[in-house]
Amino acid sequence: MNFDVTLVTNSMPLLLEGALVTIKITALSVGLGLIIGLFAGICRLAVFWPVRFLAAVYVDFIRGTPLLVQIFIMYFALPMLTGMRIDPFIAAITACSVNSGAYIAEIFRAGIESIDAGQMEAGRSLGMSWSQTMRYIIVPQAFKRIIPPLGNEFIAMLKDSSLVSVIGFEELTRRGQLIIARTYGSLEIWLSVAFIYLVMTLTISRFVAYLERRYKIDDRH
Amino acid sequence: MIDIKNLHKSFGKIDVLKGIDVFIAEKEVVVIIGPSGSGKSTLLRCINYLEEPTDGEIIVDGIPLSGEANINKVREEVGMVFQRFNLFGHMTVLENIVLAPMKVRKLSRKDAVATAKELLDKVGLSDKAEAYPSQLSGGQQQRVAIARALAMKPKIMLFDEPTSALDPEMVNEVLEVMNTLAKEGMTMVVVTHEMGFAREVGDRVLFVDEGKIVEQGPPKAIFEEAKEERLKSFLSKIL
Repeated sequence: MNFDVTLVTNSMPLLLEGALVTIKITALSVGLGLIIGLFAGICRLAVFWPVRFLAAVYVDFIRGTPLLVQIFIMYFALPMLTGMRIDPFIAAITACSVNSGAYIAEIFRAGIESIDAGQMEAGRSLGMSWSQTMRYIIVPQAFKRIIPPLGNEFIAMLKDSSLVSVIGFEELTRRGQLIIARTYGSLEIWLSVAFIYLVMTLTISRFVAYLERRYKIDDRH
Repeated sequence: MIDIKNLHKSFGKIDVLKGIDVFIAEKEVVVIIGPSGSGKSTLLRCINYLEEPTDGEIIVDGIPLSGEANINKVREEVGMVFQRFNLFGHMTVLENIVLAPMKVRKLSRKDAVATAKELLDKVGLSDKAEAYPSQLSGGQQQRVAIARALAMKPKIMLFDEPTSALDPEMVNEVLEVMNTLAKEGMTMVVVTHEMGFAREVGDRVLFVDEGKIVEQGPPKAIFEEAKEERLKSFLSKIL
């Protein structure tokens, strides 16, 4: 068995391009997922029960089915309903952000519930509405507490985004597959791909740890 | 100013308030005392609807409370100070005070800050405007909480055991601020275990036990000429 180092160095530019695409999908998905998740997370705490119920159905459906199946539904099943082909990029981003949104909704819900009930009472007793108190008092404080789980979600999504390779979207994993199809260098390429993922996830977890330290200062009551 | 008629409150099967009738006049300082679990905090929290009454009527400043419809209007006029301060931990002292006047009263930042500075001066914390709550002592936090409530220029102030979570040496600095407020003619309802305060500052003392007002009257009558057995035994335990 021999390890072809030149294959690694020659493939690196193509793989790094793929890695950039992976970062792009992840950032977009988690970014959109944050918006969906904040909305769904607050809906899960709403006073009006149908809103709570719908939010719970969404979260349960997404968390109870594999992302791979969700990607297939988005790319293959939905076009059969609508009769329109869907761009792989759009399908990938939509599936991933809807998926991420459900996990982030639970993170937000837990974060909001962890804020002392006295904060809501103080806000309300000053004449602020429920939504004003949420916006100015509860959510900003919840945000600080959920930085670590959000970081984990980002890392999980970065790894799971490799699943969109199945619909032919050329991110890091798909790039690896395509290079192997030409060169048969399974050992060199898969190890390189794994190494690139590792560098990305470690970088993110270090960054999250830094943020956590920075925002810790004034969170005590 | 506050008119409470036949107020009932139950949590599930537990009846906490069993028919409270009380009228509180403008500029009156009413102190509510009673054993823990007697319903005195619940009574206070019903006045600004933090607890929804099960039955009965509450009229605050001429407005009958009727749930979410007008509750924010009433709360603008009723300041509340909590046992555990409940300052907003992610904001400086100044931001804590200006938030509600800006968002609810729609004051300009400049006006809100000017009022906040006056109030901080009044509670003796002018130098702490830029501090975060976690950097303050309990007594300082509670004084900020009082300033925050006053910033809305309320007509009524409710105090829910404001000194119970404080170290003993900090109790007086908070009571002094409340004393000043009372002298300025603020209408106040105070739930407290500080009998000295009740005696010196209160116009009227309500003794609440098992969800009812058992006895009420001027401090002197309550503390020196108690009639009801339950009040006598309560006083003998704490004085």
